[in-house]
Amino acid sequence: MSPTTIVLILGIIAAFYMAWNIGANDVANAMGTSVGSGALTLAGAVVIAGIFEFAGATLVGSHVTETIRKGILEVSLFQPDSPLLGEDGPTILMLGMVAALLAAGVWLQIATSFGLPVSTTHSIVGAVIGFALVAVGKSAISWGTVGTIAASWVISPILGGLLAASMFIFVTRFVLRADRPIEATMRIGPHLIALVFFILVLSFIYKALKNVVAEPTWWFVLLTATATAAVGWVLGRAWLRSSRPGDPDNPFDYVERVFAKLQIVTAAFVAFAHGANDVANAVAPAAAVVQVARYGTLPDQLPVPFWILVLGGVGIVIGLATWGYKVIATVGRKITELTPSRGFSAEFGAATTVLIASRLGMPVSTTHTLVGAVIGVGLARGLAALDLRVVGKIVNSWLVTLPVGAALSAFFFLILRAIFL
Amino acid sequence: MRTIHQLFGKSPFEPLVAHTEKVAEAADLVRPLFDSYVVGDFKRCNEIYGEISQVEHDADTIKEDIRDHLPRYLFLPVDRGDIILYVRQQDHIADAAEDVAMLITLRDMETPEPFRTLLLKLVDEVVTAADLLLVAGKEMAALLESSFGGPEVDKVRGLVKEVANQESQADETQHKTAKALLSPDCELDPVSISLWMHAIQVLGNLANAAENTGDVLRTMMARR
Repeated sequence: MSPTTIVLILGIIAAFYMAWNIGANDVANAMGTSVGSGALTLAGAVVIAGIFEFAGATLVGSHVTETIRKGILEVSLFQPDSPLLGEDGPTILMLGMVAALLAAGVWLQIATSFGLPVSTTHSIVGAVIGFALVAVGKSAISWGTVGTIAASWVISPILGGLLAASMFIFVTRFVLRADRPIEATMRIGPHLIALVFFILVLSFIYKALKNVVAEPTWWFVLLTATATAAVGWVLGRAWLRSSRPGDPDNPFDYVERVFAKLQIVTAAFVAFAHGANDVANAVAPAAAVVQVARYGTLPDQLPVPFWILVLGGVGIVIGLATWGYKVIATVGRKITELTPSRGFSAEFGAATTVLIASRLGMPVSTTHTLVGAVIGVGLARGLAALDLRVVGKIVNSWLVTLPVGAALSAFFFLILRAIFL
Repeated sequence: MRTIHQLFGKSPFEPLVAHTEKVAEAADLVRPLFDSYVVGDFKRCNEIYGEISQVEHDADTIKEDIRDHLPRYLFLPVDRGDIILYVRQQDHIADAAEDVAMLITLRDMETPEPFRTLLLKLVDEVVTAADLLLVAGKEMAALLESSFGGPEVDKVRGLVKEVANQESQADETQHKTAKALLSPDCELDPVSISLWMHAIQVLGNLANAAENTGDVLRTMMARR
């Protein structure tokens, strides 16, 4: 077996492991609340998460993958004609990407066993930067892109919080504080379903249509999204009409029961957005490895191979099925304080933000965004007691993850280089 | 990465309602206490006094638990100080119930008419004020759900207003009761009169505590 093949296999295994890890540990945040509120059974949550994670990864996953694969690094420095690295450039890139995957995987394993709130995204970005610093130096990194990514890590929880708070204030104003909350729920519910459908479809329809229609125009895309939203509205209305209204003296029981169902839609939405953003953490380095192995260079023009996104999606689903369901059950038991009306608002804010970030190719942390969203709901006075110490923990996890991910990656890179070069 | 659950602190509102329920138990024992007293069943009165003491002690424990679990890093939908104030005032209701039971069981006293009728009327009004307040307090879960706004607030505000009305009613009755007690026609011995005066005062305090708790509740909702 040639060294290239060994590195390639190593890269794919590491990528698969990362995808497994994402499915095992990260999906729980999206589905836990719905299981906790009893809206979904554990099995139902696993099925929905599996479908939407996979769909998100394959339909929208390419944007962020592009960024991690070649946006963070000055790829031209790693081409065979590079004056700095010479002919070894592509191999160094390949080894580095494998090192980054190993580093992120090991760090996540350590962090999880210590219960640290570490982001997969931050680990992999730190790791890619780490090997490049050792392999080439400061010049190998597109600091502009890295700066934008760092900014997106601050902006995404804030935006998630703002959107979630706005949604919660809307729900409070028009449902929870309505004179007749039951009737208000029946009236507003379909609109909320339609809104989620609209955003969800809008995020991937362009890509999906491209396979059918050569160049879909914006109005066609908009029309399709609107049509889907209308279908959601009609279905939602029919379902709410058929639902059993509760005791008028205790309207919030009914309201929360309906929101528990609506939350299934937003949980699927979060799973979709999560797949779209986080699959890149596993497959982007692998995509670079595969392409270098195949072409001897990192082709600038070629898109990410679709099968690699599928591989990532499958890895996430397997992680979910083999381990993730346990984590979902645990998270579900612990967050019963997040009642459906609150959970709906938080998930809406988080998923919308993550999806926007994904479309812009920004690798953000889904969990941090969701944390921001829950804080948003809390600050809008939706929660009985919001523990603000989490903010400090998240800042700490950042400060630790970036250097540790980078150092581990540099360490693995040096070993791999010693073996293969 | 499992961070989400760390966002949720211990809610002070559940123990707050538990405290309300304990205080309601204490307040509800005041009527049977006086009913037994006026018919001379002092043995039963002593039993009830024991029960009230026990309930008051339980309420105290909950009160301390609430205070101990309100660290500054918790963000709450209402002012932290208002919660502390609320339990303190609500606890005064149970304290007053215990005090009045303690006072009247110090000595087996007569309750000559018209003092007796007025006294029972006063007890009734005072307990009604407390009951109304405690009904409002138990709406806490619904208030939380609507994040302290909307029609739920109007409902609670209505109850708080009734508490205030009931309290001013009780004030008036308290005055009449004291007058009856101090009238030259009253054939009670001076020590009993003095003790009754004290007991009437404490009953008034019970109604005042209910009104003050209601005021805190109103502040909580007004700061929205």
